[in-house]
Amino acid sequence: MIPRQFVIATVILFVLAIGMSIYVWQLRHREITAPRPARAAPVQHVTPPASGPTERVTVYVAYDDPGELRAQSISIPLSSGRQQRAEEILRGLLNVYLDKNSRHLMAAGAEVRDVYLVDPGLAVVDVNSALVDGQTSGVLAEELTVVSMIQTLSTNVFGLTRVKILVDGKERETLAGHTDLSEFYDVAQVAELAKQLSVQQ
Amino acid sequence: MPWNKDFLGAALLLFSARLPLLGQAIPPVASPPNQAPAAQTPANPTSAPVQPEHMLLIMIDPAHGGSDSGAVFNPSLLEKDVTLGLSRRLRQELSTRGMPAQLLRDFDGTLSTDQRAAMVNAAHPALYLCIHATSQGSGMRIYTAMLSVGGDDHGPFLDWQTAQSALLARSRWAQQQLAASVQKTGFPVRSLLAPLRPLNNITIPAVAIEIAPTTGDVSQLASADYQQMITAALANSIASLMPALRSNLESATQ
Repeated sequence: MIPRQFVIATVILFVLAIGMSIYVWQLRHREITAPRPARAAPVQHVTPPASGPTERVTVYVAYDDPGELRAQSISIPLSSGRQQRAEEILRGLLNVYLDKNSRHLMAAGAEVRDVYLVDPGLAVVDVNSALVDGQTSGVLAEELTVVSMIQTLSTNVFGLTRVKILVDGKERETLAGHTDLSEFYDVAQVAELAKQLSVQQ
Repeated sequence: MPWNKDFLGAALLLFSARLPLLGQAIPPVASPPNQAPAAQTPANPTSAPVQPEHMLLIMIDPAHGGSDSGAVFNPSLLEKDVTLGLSRRLRQELSTRGMPAQLLRDFDGTLSTDQRAAMVNAAHPALYLCIHATSQGSGMRIYTAMLSVGGDDHGPFLDWQTAQSALLARSRWAQQQLAASVQKTGFPVRSLLAPLRPLNNITIPAVAIEIAPTTGDVSQLASADYQQMITAALANSIASLMPALRSNLESATQ
């Protein structure tokens, strides 16, 4: 003879199991039939706005049409920390490219995530994938982007000798199929190329 | 794996590029055993020995290929196809001028930059040309590797990442000569450095050439007339380099 309490408990558990199964099936059905939300916007790297005094800095801006690099002075608020200043200067440069009148194409959302200054003389620049994905493919187009960033950085951060560029914190072979990102850039050689790009031959 | 790449590079360079040059202050390409000794060739006493004919091979590398399409100009016009078309025409133009030329890829397949460099270094051509195409700008850009001239290699081994350093003076001389020659035709041309693989890993004079349309219309890149005009100008320029490459590129740079 099965005890009555055991029968009641078993029936209750059975009913609960059936109820839960129906509920889960309905949830799943609702998820499948419901319209999917639009693709989430790329995650932006949230950085505090610079709070220091506004200063004028020289940035090297690429112009696609003649394939040139031109020095340009911009005013941006800069922090006192060396590493933060480096990040803010590069973000200032990208803001020039994100302007609608820019003559060097860069995708919306292109951003410098971080800059790490490692003594002696090494800077590691971490950019996001939006910058790379929106880059025009071509030898000159890509080297203009890289030289613009490195020349701007080395002009404003004293003592840099080498620069490494990462994408979303990882090494990458090329920027967009041409310009090499796998090696460290020698600042002196970049300066030589910047000189070539500054004078239309 | 980095050690694997370094080991492969070092081994290939040792056996394919450096050993023939050991003990020579000026590095002309050495005569292979089945060729007449350099001393038997009628030579200018101030110049290096004449290079054997087969050493004057021009190696043309159509950039990209296979899964690497390069720049996508429009859905039906890819950089890898333009570079292959230009390279085939250039080979034809060089052949009609009596200069043997070979394509690194004559098919639509994927080759890594390390594979390309290893193939070129093993073939011992006189000049390496890597062909690119772009929609941006106008005319032709001629690039050499962005490295220090000379490099810091010691002994028979070269650093794979900077193997071109020792040849950079020759490459830049070739770049200047090609640019000057093309410029005479009125075609817009620029000479620049470029952080572009596989230039860094090549152990012979090496340049990359990027072709852009002159009209702003990217479809010009696929035009037979445009390709013919560019490759003919390039072939004439390369032909003008041959005497110097044949005698001694090093003395020509001094």
